[in-house]
Parts: sequence; structure tokens; C-alpha cells
Amino acid sequence: MANLGVKICGVNFKNPVIAASGTYGFGREFDEIYDISAIGGISTKGMTNLPRVGNPVPRIAEAHGVILNAVGLQNPGVEHFIKEDLPFLKEKGVAIIANVAGSTLEDYGKICARLDGLVDMIELNISCPNVRAGGMALGIKPENIEEVTALSKENLKKTPLIVKLSPNVESIPTNAKAAEKGGADCISLVNTFTGMVIDLEKRRPIIANNTGGVSGAGIKPIALRMVYEASHAVKIPVIGMGGIMTGKDALEFMMAGAKAVQVGTANFADVNAMPRIIREMDEWLTSHGIADVNDIIDTLKLN
Amino acid sequence: MKEVISTVKEVVRIADNVYSLTVALPEPVGEVRGGQFLNISTGDNSRLLKRPFGIVRAEGCDVTVCFQVKGEGTQALANARKGDELSVLLPLGNGFILPESAKNIVVIGGGVGIFPLVPVISGNKDKKFYSYIGFRNRGCACLLDEFGKSQKLTIVTDDGSMGEKDNAVNAYLKDRENVKADMIIACGPPVMLRALKAQLKEKGITTPCLVSLEERMGCGIGACLVCVCAKSDGSRARVCKDGPVFNIDEVEL
Repeated sequence: MANLGVKICGVNFKNPVIAASGTYGFGREFDEIYDISAIGGISTKGMTNLPRVGNPVPRIAEAHGVILNAVGLQNPGVEHFIKEDLPFLKEKGVAIIANVAGSTLEDYGKICARLDGLVDMIELNISCPNVRAGGMALGIKPENIEEVTALSKENLKKTPLIVKLSPNVESIPTNAKAAEKGGADCISLVNTFTGMVIDLEKRRPIIANNTGGVSGAGIKPIALRMVYEASHAVKIPVIGMGGIMTGKDALEFMMAGAKAVQVGTANFADVNAMPRIIREMDEWLTSHGIADVNDIIDTLKLN
Repeated sequence: MKEVISTVKEVVRIADNVYSLTVALPEPVGEVRGGQFLNISTGDNSRLLKRPFGIVRAEGCDVTVCFQVKGEGTQALANARKGDELSVLLPLGNGFILPESAKNIVVIGGGVGIFPLVPVISGNKDKKFYSYIGFRNRGCACLLDEFGKSQKLTIVTDDGSMGEKDNAVNAYLKDRENVKADMIIACGPPVMLRALKAQLKEKGITTPCLVSLEERMGCGIGACLVCVCAKSDGSRARVCKDGPVFNIDEVEL
């Protein structure tokens, strides 16, 4: 069995497979199917200072190899998380990444201050494309990314900060550098690509929000390119995601420069996707005589 | 709740554009409550979402669902062949929880919404069911034998090609003096459930009423918050996990 443990910003992950925000809730539902202490970490459902009811339904649609979602940050609020879900996750022994969002810059500062020292890492959702008031605007322009990162970082004395980048931008390297300049300890990418699926007969988009975030197997090549670009633009660690369905997919992201990966949409196609991906990574490494998953990171040889 | 690889036993066309699919699990299905559903893959990896269908029958290792062909995914399932392997996650949702004391149950079903009602009738032999079932027309009618197990069965159609020209909610209301119902259970299109809610209120009918809702789903287990419905108190409930069966008074239809 290969060593799968990785360390990011001083945080130990028993393996590099982290549940992606929004696909895994706070872990309770998946824990009814398998013991979630098997996974490396969990990035929680995106949270805001106050509870949100989210978008109208339908919130999901499908196209070949991908899904689209527009949940609109429905969440019970950060205080509910601290009281109800955090103790459960701590007991499970998985690395806890609190994914946070806000409608204004001040929201980000406030929620970071509240969670500082309570969780293992904080992941800024500055790229959720569904909330008209905030998300999109903050995550697109490098100067805004730097500003929201710096403000969040000011409010964090103990907990390392991940900035999750949107792929719906002009330049991934520029935005990755902006996050690094703002003081980010780590970068994660990619969030979803904005897309649309149409019901031809009804002459309407299927999703009530009209557009939704595209994720799943079909986005993997684009995500891989962006993770490669980001990890070679900055010195801070990068967590890669986008269409990972198998252990081999996960290893490709690590080979491209990611220190760990997140798995999202695969959890819908296969509820046991994460334990399977961890097993498949181990099998591949072992069959190739590689004793430590860290030895695969950033080993891509360009043509 | 478990995810297993099932094997297709048979696919049968049971009405216009409606199919019955029976799969065999590698192990006994276990206990399934009427109104619970399953999530089944379409057999094509390029479709990442499983399809949620109400369970119509669960016996031994076999599970049957019925569905209308609405798009490419359901078309693929209609084209499934004996021996095809499909991943199944089940049982999901709460189902119809009928109190011991409720002995006489009114069943109101419309169109392809009738499917989750079938196992409630077949699985509660100690209760009497009075069923009012509506279809668009004769060609859409199916599973009449199953509803025939009711104490009383009234079938209506939108065009009068089978039974009276009426809808299921009206059919019940016309007959309600003859039925002393302890409980009403219903499943059908949103327009039918809205009409039922409005009529119960208008006529001052206080009989407890449970409805099963449908929504486009993601994970099917309550994690992704895709398939929500609005509750009367303004909060959101997950159709897959908190439902799909709700008290008609607690949800906005």
C-alpha cells in the first residue's frame, strides 16, 4: 500500500481526496452510506453569515458528460454550522475546510473572523456564478480577488486560507497570482463553468436560474489545463478539481501540479465514488512501484 | 440505503410512452415502504445523473419501477435489454407513513403520478383503499389491476375515453359523502396537487392528506440541496430526503 498522506499549509490529510463544496453537504448523508472518516477532507457546503433559501427549482440539468447546477448558496448559516455540524465533523477526523461566501467584501471578513481557529482551512468561494449580488463580480477581476483575499486574510490569525478560483475569467495565471499577492495560503480550482441547457419544446432553459455551473467528466481537460497553469504561476499549493471520476483522473491532476484534489459531481454518479477513487489511486501507485503519492506531484513532462 | 449493480430482467411497455422496468439485485431488496423511490443509472456513463423513480414493486431480489419517456435518459432505460447492468441506489425517501389508526384511505392519483401509490395499496392489506385515478385518455391508462385491489376504484379520463370525463380530484369530491376517510394520499402533476389543496381548504375537509412530490434531483440522498420545495413556514425541504411525501398543509404547491 502506497502512502497517500499529504500535508498542505501544515494541515495533514490522510489522503489527497477532498469532497468538493456543495456536493457533499456537511458529510452526514454520505456517512449513512460509508464511514466518511475514509476521505481526506471535506469542503463544506458554501456558507454565509446568515441562512439563505437559495434559487427557485429546477436547480439541475444534464448534458453529455456534465451536469449544470444553480442551487444559489442555500445554507443554514455559519452559526448553525458551528453548533450542529462542526462537532460531528471533528469527531469524524477528516480535515475540515469551511467553504464561505458573501454578498459584500465585509461579509467575507466577518465570516472568516467567526471561523478562525475553529476549522482546519477556510476556502473562499469568490466564484459562485449564481448569486447576482456578489460571487461573480469578486472572482473575475484580479484586483477584486486580491482585495477580498487580503481582507479575509486580515481576519484570520490561525486558519490557513484557500482561494477558490473561477474558470470564467480572462487569465487563470493572473488571477492565481492576485490571490497569492493578497495573502492566500493555497488556491483551489476550478469552480464551475457557466452554461445553459435548453428544453427545445418549451423554448426555455431547464434551470430556473436560466444558467448554471457546468461540472463533471466533460470539463476535465479544461480544468487540467487550468490547474497546470495555476500551479506553475504561484508558489503556494494548489488543490485541483474538475471532472474527477476515477483514481487515474485524480493522479493526472496531481501530476499537473495539484497537491490534493476535490471530488464533486462524481458523488452523484456513484455515491461510493470517493472511497473508490482513493482505492484506485493506491492501486495505480502500487502497480507502478510508487511508494508515496507525493512523488507524483508536479511530475508532468511536457512535449 | 445501498448502491448495488442490478441486472435488467424485463422492460415492458404498459401504456403510451410508459414503461415498466424490472431489475434483479444481487441480494434481497429488504424492506421498502410504499412511496419510497430508487435512483437508477441509465447505463450510459455520459449521463452522470441517476433517474429517480417511485418503487412500484419490491419482491425478493426484484424491483419494478414504471416511468414515462421524457428525454434521452428515460429513452435509454426504455431501450434497456435483459441482462444489462444498471447501478441502483435504494430505498430513498420517507414514503407514505400511514398511522395504525387510519383504516380507510382515499387514494388520489393522476397520470404517471400513480406509480408510488401502488405499493401503498399492495403493502397494507389491513387497510381499505378507495382509489380515484385519472389519466389523459384510455391509451395512458395502466396498472389498473393493481388499483383493482382497492375496496373501490373510480377511473376517469380527461377526454372521457375511459370512465367519466373528469379529473381524479373531482371524482373523489363527488363521491366523498360515500367514503368515511381517515386519510387521503395523493400523487400526480403539480396542477392536480394544487387543485386538491385548494379544494380541501375550500370545502373545509380536515382529513389528513399526504402528497408525494416530484423534482429534478442531484444526489438523491439529501446532500446537494438541488431538489428542494418551499415549506409553508418559508423554509426549504429536500424532496429526496425530507420527502418525497409531505403533509399537504406543510408545503407550498
